[in-house]
Amino acid sequence: MFRYWQRRFKTGVLTENPQLDERLSDLRKRLKKGIAKHFAGSLAIRMVDSGSCNACEAECNALSNPYYDLERLGIRFVASPRHADVMLLSGVLTFNMLPHVLDAWEQIPEPKWCITLGDCPVLQSPIERTFAVKGPAGEHLPVAYHIPGCPPSPEAILEGLVGFLESMED
Amino acid sequence: MNENKKRLIARFAVDRGDRFEILTRFEGETIQRERIEHQEAKAPSLMPRYPAAVWFERKIMEDFGIRFEGAFDTRPLLHHERWPEGVHPMRRDFDPDTVLEEAPYRPYRYATVGGEGVFEVAVGPIHAGIIEPGHFHFSQAGEDMLHQEVRHFYKYRGIEKSCEGKSLTEAAPIVARISGNESVAAQIALARIAERASDTQTPTPQRARQALLLELERIIHHWTDLGFIPNDAGFAAALAYASARAEEARRLMAALTGHRFGFDAIFSGTEDWDKATINAWIERNFEAIEWFESWITDIPSLWDRMDTTGILKRAEALRYGCVGVMARASGLERDVRMSDPFYTERGFAAALEESGDVAARFKIRIAEIKASLELMRRFAEEAEAEPYRIAEPRDGAYDAFVESSLGELYLYMELEAGKITRLFFRDPSFVNWQALPTLMPGNIIADFPLINKSCDLSYAGNDL
Repeated sequence: MFRYWQRRFKTGVLTENPQLDERLSDLRKRLKKGIAKHFAGSLAIRMVDSGSCNACEAECNALSNPYYDLERLGIRFVASPRHADVMLLSGVLTFNMLPHVLDAWEQIPEPKWCITLGDCPVLQSPIERTFAVKGPAGEHLPVAYHIPGCPPSPEAILEGLVGFLESMED
Repeated sequence: MNENKKRLIARFAVDRGDRFEILTRFEGETIQRERIEHQEAKAPSLMPRYPAAVWFERKIMEDFGIRFEGAFDTRPLLHHERWPEGVHPMRRDFDPDTVLEEAPYRPYRYATVGGEGVFEVAVGPIHAGIIEPGHFHFSQAGEDMLHQEVRHFYKYRGIEKSCEGKSLTEAAPIVARISGNESVAAQIALARIAERASDTQTPTPQRARQALLLELERIIHHWTDLGFIPNDAGFAAALAYASARAEEARRLMAALTGHRFGFDAIFSGTEDWDKATINAWIERNFEAIEWFESWITDIPSLWDRMDTTGILKRAEALRYGCVGVMARASGLERDVRMSDPFYTERGFAAALEESGDVAARFKIRIAEIKASLELMRRFAEEAEAEPYRIAEPRDGAYDAFVESSLGELYLYMELEAGKITRLFFRDPSFVNWQALPTLMPGNIIADFPLINKSCDLSYAGNDL
């Protein structure tokens, strides 16, 4: 373990890496402010994959890596829909997933918001609406906000969450 | 166990209008074709001899309505509880835009173990973490897993059907998005088919570009797993370290292709590559994996969880025809790159472990990052940032193998007048998922996430 701490101090804090420019730090500030205002400082997200290619999930996971470290902004991906404020829905809504997605949505306590993530749930990606797809998500769920991209990068997801919070001001 | 038995790679069907044809691909052989009449749509089952035939044949049953004589498992696979009966989407006369209405709920019969005190645990389709949906059904005696059934196809998007009637160029963005973990690999498989169908050969600099991106994709995937496997054993520091390396690798992918996952990268993008950036990244990553290995090898409590956990026996890996990391961690030297001079001439040798447990799969991933970095060094010298242009293809049937980050990926295509009339995609996970339950007996359910993550199989690629 000693070697780990040695390395740890040598590496320093990646989260403050110069690669992450002012725009991002501004984004973070706005995000933190919005969460403090609308969600008492803690936004709980239940991510539900309704038929994605797994890239959107990978980017959400990336938000927890040391470069983005999402949790320090008060955002948490939670295991149970019953702990969630927001359902983040990725992928085309498949015939086989639809009932389970609706189940998960029902389990989220009010007030709740559904955010679609990536081009798939709104059927804007190359993955087509076929017999096996029940999308777009808006036909089955009250979608409050959409974050575009194929997949949206971690930065785009942060930006999207800011957009969602600011849309609540209206 | 007969070691000489052939490996079943794929079994699928094609509707020829007046008849069906079942195509079966064994390792080292050409495709076998069975003619099946529409009127009497049945064929002898391979299930009793080849356990991996179970999903292949169950899929054919639903896709085409062909029955298999001697099949011991005829439960629905793709068509879940609310699917209307008698719908066979891969038949020629089925319109892909058909809107299917939910039929009355028909419960699925899980394969379970009965007996006093034995109980069932149902997990999924929606899991606790940020992961793809799928269902795992356990039969438990206390903490001990007696049996597990893997039930998938929640993500079934009808991709095979949606590619029909499209040109290779039109299908390429779909193929790139079958599975985000192996997008580059799938695109290269499509490029190989395009190459064969136009009697062309990809020039070495272009091939080196493709191969470099493929190894980078593998490195991203392996670093991700090297973080998540220890994390599932409660060792979060490894995730912090490895996920930062995966992020850096993804940023290199974005710098080289304009996309963090390399979507559409094989067929587009012309910017010059900055070789100095690539080389500097390779050297930094080499240092990182060496350090990671020496550090993680010294954490005894982690190896206590990984050693002897979730063993895939060599005999089972053979029986199921496992591929990829799972096969190589169980002593089977299965790697498409080993039969490709492009790799062997550049000094490639597949990593191999014998113990078949979580630890073996973990060590394989470390070894493969190093091997991929070695390959990247070579490819970086030879590569030119020239995307692959799909030429006018000849009619015919073509297939291709690519070693994706998950294992051997198989793509089959039939072309008529420049359009795809049949696309069959066998993800490496399609065979490996079927072998997964053999890893469970003798382990406690708390180790399931660890075992599952050590195999890291794809749901999207499997479900299509």
